[in-house]
Amino acid sequence: MGAGVETGCAIPPGALDRLRGLLGERFSTADADLFSYSHDYWPISLQWVLKGSFPWLPSAVAWPENTLEVQEIVKTAYENSIPVYAFGGGSGVLGGTVPEKGGIVVDLKRMRSIRLNEEDMVVEAEAGVNGYYLEKYLNSKGYTLGHIPQSLYVSTVGGWVATKATGQFSTKYGGIENMLLGLEAVLPWGDSVTVKPHPRTSTGPDLRSLFVGSEGVFGIITRVWLKTCLAPGERILLSYVSESFQEALESVRRILRRGARPAVVRVYDETETKRHFYMFEEAYGRVMTVMIVEGDSRIAGAERMIVEEEFRGRMLGEEPVKHWLETRFTVKEASEFTPLGVVFDTIEVSVAWSRAMLLYRSLVEAMRSVKGTLFASAHASHFYPQGVCFYFTFAGVPKGDPEKYYNEVWSVAMKTTIENGGSISHHHGVGRQRRSWLKEELDAGFQLLKKVKTAVDDKGLMNPGNMGL
Amino acid sequence: MPGKWDWLKDELRASGMARATPLVLRFIGGRLRGPDDLVKCALCPNMCRHACPVGIVDGRETTSPAGKARVALFLRQGRLQATRENVSPLYACLSCDACSVWCPFGFSVADLLRPVKEKTAGGVGFKEFREVFENLEKHGYVYGEPKPSGSGSRNGDLLYLRGCTLREKHPDIGEKAEHVFQHLGYRAFTIDETCCGMPAYNLGNTSLFRKLARKQAEKIGSSGAGTVVASCPSCVYAYRVLYPKHGVEIKAEVHHVAELLEDRLKGLRGEGSFVIHNPCKLALGLGKPRALWKTLSSVEGLTVKEPRRSGSETFCCGHGGSAVPRLNPELARRIALERGMELTEEAETIVTACPTCKQAFQSNGFKALDIIELVYFLLGGEQCSR
Ligand SMILES: Cc1cc2nc3c(=O)[nH]c(=O)nc-3n(C[C@H](O)[C@H](O)[C@H](O)COP(=O)(O)OP(=O)(O)OC[C@H]3O[C@@H](n4cnc5c(N)ncnc54)[C@H](O)[C@@H]3O)c2cc1C
Ligand code: SF4
Ligand code: SF4
Repeated sequence: MGAGVETGCAIPPGALDRLRGLLGERFSTADADLFSYSHDYWPISLQWVLKGSFPWLPSAVAWPENTLEVQEIVKTAYENSIPVYAFGGGSGVLGGTVPEKGGIVVDLKRMRSIRLNEEDMVVEAEAGVNGYYLEKYLNSKGYTLGHIPQSLYVSTVGGWVATKATGQFSTKYGGIENMLLGLEAVLPWGDSVTVKPHPRTSTGPDLRSLFVGSEGVFGIITRVWLKTCLAPGERILLSYVSESFQEALESVRRILRRGARPAVVRVYDETETKRHFYMFEEAYGRVMTVMIVEGDSRIAGAERMIVEEEFRGRMLGEEPVKHWLETRFTVKEASEFTPLGVVFDTIEVSVAWSRAMLLYRSLVEAMRSVKGTLFASAHASHFYPQGVCFYFTFAGVPKGDPEKYYNEVWSVAMKTTIENGGSISHHHGVGRQRRSWLKEELDAGFQLLKKVKTAVDDKGLMNPGNMGL
Repeated sequence: MPGKWDWLKDELRASGMARATPLVLRFIGGRLRGPDDLVKCALCPNMCRHACPVGIVDGRETTSPAGKARVALFLRQGRLQATRENVSPLYACLSCDACSVWCPFGFSVADLLRPVKEKTAGGVGFKEFREVFENLEKHGYVYGEPKPSGSGSRNGDLLYLRGCTLREKHPDIGEKAEHVFQHLGYRAFTIDETCCGMPAYNLGNTSLFRKLARKQAEKIGSSGAGTVVASCPSCVYAYRVLYPKHGVEIKAEVHHVAELLEDRLKGLRGEGSFVIHNPCKLALGLGKPRALWKTLSSVEGLTVKEPRRSGSETFCCGHGGSAVPRLNPELARRIALERGMELTEEAETIVTACPTCKQAFQSNGFKALDIIELVYFLLGGEQCSR
């Protein structure tokens, strides 16, 4: 343990020696490392960063370079009852990696080999591969994964699977679960398991799903096999202005019903249209939709025709889409606002079409009703023939404790979502921020999940407390 | 056209939050003193991590771009003690500025860390840097006492500054350069040069940097040269970008060899396949991401390939910034291997324009040529040493 730093769980000397012997410099108890792994991108943990003061620190950090090393670390932890936290890019926004019981953080970023099988259109990647690195590699060979989250530059392949992430181009390519063919994982007692990458298989319950969205509570994902697509031959940029949010959403619903799948569809409510597209005067105070249709030029051409036939709104051309493409990775808010005492966060939920507008209106109203809220707004960011994901943004200048205000907004948002028949998370996951609502969301399913957790992780050492498990 | 913040004014009105009005209006009007840049970087999710060779190859949060800013912030706050262990992550930086290409604020982490480095380095007193500082103080040369060099002749019209690494590790390139300049119609001459000061600057010793800068500027000035060319892009960066910021003036025009050669090789013929590695200080520091490619692709018959990460997306050879190869040679080696493997997917021979990059690749088993060597060869000089 580093001088002057308290951690939650002491590692017995025998285990320390074993891990140091195994990993050498790739095992650390240095203060700077413990501080660096005591938070992720959860706004509450950013407050800790700002103060340089953390409620929980890990006892050690390990950087394995292969699956065998991960197995050794996990086995040692199991034998000594030490908690283990898988760490990818730390871009999770809900405290999923916060080491609240002390123990060992296992950072996967030294595991980053990539192997592309062009004939099978499958890429094998170790868990720590950086998102942009993978996409750039595939592009150079003429392929794309089609998984472009806003955190592409930051996050890892293992983190994507563990959080059931989805990207900006998901309306065509799907979420990470649609790309995942197989995986390898290290189980809580140190054995490893491989779910082989078949095109499809009917061999009992799908074991992949034990790890998709598991957020580190069932083991450590060490390798994945993902489907790849040909890099798009054509990319068509389309944008529309509508008189109302509902009218724009209804247009997208009609497009999807007919089987067209634009890769990107984003519909901004009036507030967000003003915020993000103020330079397009025709749209100011109305509703902006940006769309990208891409793929083989013939298919994309047909999809474009469907979009043009079904969208009721005024076409605005390519410029708004170009503007979105240029600014989609500009992430500045937390850096600029957190130190000013402005509380800022985003909440994404999903809902079926039949309840979409009701949920949207109720949620915006609920968040605005919390004292201290400056604004609450949304855009629809991911679409399905059955429904939509709303991505809400709120900001507030609370009078009292910022954390209390923050949790109050979250609380009304979660409650309103459940009351209106939505799901409390579309893609960020559960982590430590959403865990108290998971029970309500899953109902009897939560007891089942707890039983699965106890069966798989009998000592409760894998990311303890995460997701309320 | 509506203003950028009109939407927020509307929201403020609608929310009826009179209490927040002064804060928001001051923010909108740019009158709010927000956090300093180090804090902003520490609160960033690492939006440039993918471009940072250290971030990618080392794979540690602690040495990722935002991670280093956080460590610097904790040191500044006194939350972390300034021990060698805690200060070292600040030196896991190649000063390559790849972060600045992607940063929404335009930050270079190397610049953000410098004040904290300056404050803490003295206390830690890295022994690995002490020798460099002593050599620079005593000899004005990174590697100890230099062998006598420099023609001293002032008859030429082009002052050629070779830099420490070329003089120490690849003196033959210096000789070939003079032949190349002659072919271009210049009469080049050299002097008993002093280190440009970059190693001191990178290692957190700004006062020594200034001292060396003044000395070198004086030597350049008294050479009477109107045009200066250097083989090392870091030296050119120091002369053109850093010296003026530190109040040191060089009157002569300063070019890097790749800039001098641009558009001057037309009509030259050659053969063979080469892959180019853009040195970071040329591509990013001097803002010339296409210079090497343009120069080489003007030679008829050459096949010039670019790696995956090219132009302004270039990836450092792992030996930039003076600190990493000294404090963490294993990391420097691993970055050089990563980059070398990526480059040699395209062609067996790497062409670069920086003696340090050449040295980094060569010492890790790759075939690497400085642009001067290639041009010398194309001009009919003997086979270049690889
Ligand atoms: C600016 C920004 C934009 C974002 N945009 C998107 C977006 O567009 N779409 C989206 O879906 N999400 C987005 N996110 C959220 C986040 O990036 C994703 O959840 C991402 O998948 C997390 O990956 P990571 O590698 O950073 O994981 P981490 O944050 O390191 O970990 C997240 C969780 O997964 C677990 N975990 C990580 N790796 C493994 C592993 N190998 N095995 C088992 N468990 C593991 C951790 O224990 C933790 O519980 C965004 C976040 C930020 C900061
Ligand atoms: S200057 Fe280079 S090495 Fe340093 S943080 Fe930026 S990208 Fe990384
Ligand atoms: S340099 Fe910019 S992009 Fe990189 S971590 Fe700092 S603020 Fe983020």
